[in-house]
Amino acid sequence: MTPGDHVCAFPVSDEQLWEISAEFVAAGLARNEQVYYFDDGTASSVLGRLADDRVPLAQPLRTGQLAIVPSDVTRQVFRTPVAAVQQMFAERIEASVAEGYAGLRITGQMSYGAARPVGIGLTEYDAGLDAVVRGRPAIALCLYDRRRYTDAQIEEMRDVHRDELSAPSAYDDGLLRITRTGLTTARMAGEVDHSNRPMITRLLETTLDDALRSHSASTDIELNLASLRFMDVAGAVSLVHAAEAFPSTHRLVLTGVRPRIVRVLDRCGAPFAAQLSVREFEPERDRLPLVITADTRDDVLVDAFGSTEPLREAR
Amino acid sequence: MRVETTRVATPVRLRHAVGFHSSTDDLVGQMVPLVTAALDRGEPVALAVGPTTERALHDALGGSAGLIGLSEPDTVTRGSGQTMAARRARELRELTAGAVPVTVVSEHNSRLDGFDGRYWTEWDAAVNVAMGELPVSLICFYPELPLHLEILDGARRNHPLVLAGGELRHNPEHRCPRDVLRSTPAAAPMLLGPPDRALTYTAWQLHEVRRAVEHLVTEAGSFEESRIEDIVLAVNEVATNAVEHGTSEAQIALWICEEGLVCEVHDGGDLTEPLPGLCAPHPSDPRGRGVWIARQLCDVLHVWRNADGTHVRMHAAS
Repeated sequence: MTPGDHVCAFPVSDEQLWEISAEFVAAGLARNEQVYYFDDGTASSVLGRLADDRVPLAQPLRTGQLAIVPSDVTRQVFRTPVAAVQQMFAERIEASVAEGYAGLRITGQMSYGAARPVGIGLTEYDAGLDAVVRGRPAIALCLYDRRRYTDAQIEEMRDVHRDELSAPSAYDDGLLRITRTGLTTARMAGEVDHSNRPMITRLLETTLDDALRSHSASTDIELNLASLRFMDVAGAVSLVHAAEAFPSTHRLVLTGVRPRIVRVLDRCGAPFAAQLSVREFEPERDRLPLVITADTRDDVLVDAFGSTEPLREAR
Repeated sequence: MRVETTRVATPVRLRHAVGFHSSTDDLVGQMVPLVTAALDRGEPVALAVGPTTERALHDALGGSAGLIGLSEPDTVTRGSGQTMAARRARELRELTAGAVPVTVVSEHNSRLDGFDGRYWTEWDAAVNVAMGELPVSLICFYPELPLHLEILDGARRNHPLVLAGGELRHNPEHRCPRDVLRSTPAAAPMLLGPPDRALTYTAWQLHEVRRAVEHLVTEAGSFEESRIEDIVLAVNEVATNAVEHGTSEAQIALWICEEGLVCEVHDGGDLTEPLPGLCAPHPSDPRGRGVWIARQLCDVLHVWRNADGTHVRMHAAS
């Protein structure tokens, strides 16, 4: 994505919504862009995912590089005439550049607008946004996930966007999302239970297969579990058994494992499996504080979008 | 919370015997030689007896050296013989550390009889399952004339050995736990009022069950985060079992009370294993570990069956 882009994506699950949003935010922070997240009940999960991804957040939240626009302000946007909204965004982009940022990134939860609260449709706002972003140092990512938008709305929005973000191949059942992040690495996000447990075995089999077929591949099969919030006993047992069945040259390495998952693994004999390595999630020093209060911010941002009150709960 | 791992290899098995007594004097008279013999062999002796018997025993032995007291069932466990057996097994597994033989002398306690004495039949049958792999010699003493005939009947069928004339002999009336429980199934617990939350679920809605438990327990406010996570895990395992081995649809009911969370899971299935999760699953066995772990995370886990199907009552304190 480059400045002037207006991209859309259609996440199939909440997990994918957090994943795409977090990647978009993180990329903007890394490129010294200012990031505006228009919240409507989703910001805490996106910030949680950013923390899972080890993206330092305390600093950008304090300086205002990352701004969470509160829900009521987000909703107010969709009760404002399109021309006025365009004006607000144009000014905001100028202000970001004036503050020394490379540009502005905009994303968030826009589903309130889909209900046409004042008779103006999402497509009209979208066309307005497109005109503002085009030719300016700004990137907009519009997310239309299948839980919050109807199929008809999704088709309509797909038609009016220039670019669609292509998603990497993944398993996603709405409860568990598995993405292959490399030849011998994968990431699991969400929850593992009786309904999707067989996917673990399948994932490990194919990943191991790929590792064995390639001479240059790592002998460590790495599963990032930072965003795995629940795993049942049989799921843990299948990981332990899979590692024990690995050829002696290979290891299964679990990284970013949350304490509750570590406890399940411990109870299922993980400490006895020589080819299984469990690396606990270690909170970083620059980790997001659990509660961000006004005190942790240098100043409360006041601009055309009102004052972006800091978020109360980060996870 | 600490949960034991299950990798122990003990060729020794439980020696489970019954003795009958006519009076406290008779009881102590039978116990003393057993205790002395074990102490002479250098084995620890654990006692699960009432205070009167314990004092008399100390007097007769001239002290309490080498004797270990075991925990008494608390009010919550009362009524669930299998829960008490699982807890006792856990205590003894720690005590034996996998290899040290321990002699346990226990005495019938009429306060646990319930309305028909079935508690004891369930307890002894559960002991046979839960402690089967432990190097424990457990001698259970029952009065010759208890209030409920079921107590004598159950004791005769559950113990492979019988103490007679100071010697342990083979008991020809002994039956395996499955047979005993077929004729005398574990009793249903006392009925509770309307639940705080009830839902019907399938294997694809287990996340809704977890959400309901998490929500209710978090709202109660008295549970720590890691305890909530453990409780959610325990309920998930029992709920999973119901839809995996029972019927495709099962019911769950949740109560929040003073003692913590009470949860019941009902399915229409027929369990092949009458008392699941009592013995440690083999490390290579992919099944059976869920309920085993759930039993260790809960204060009570009581399984009973009737014509409607299989039922589980769980109790988890904060």
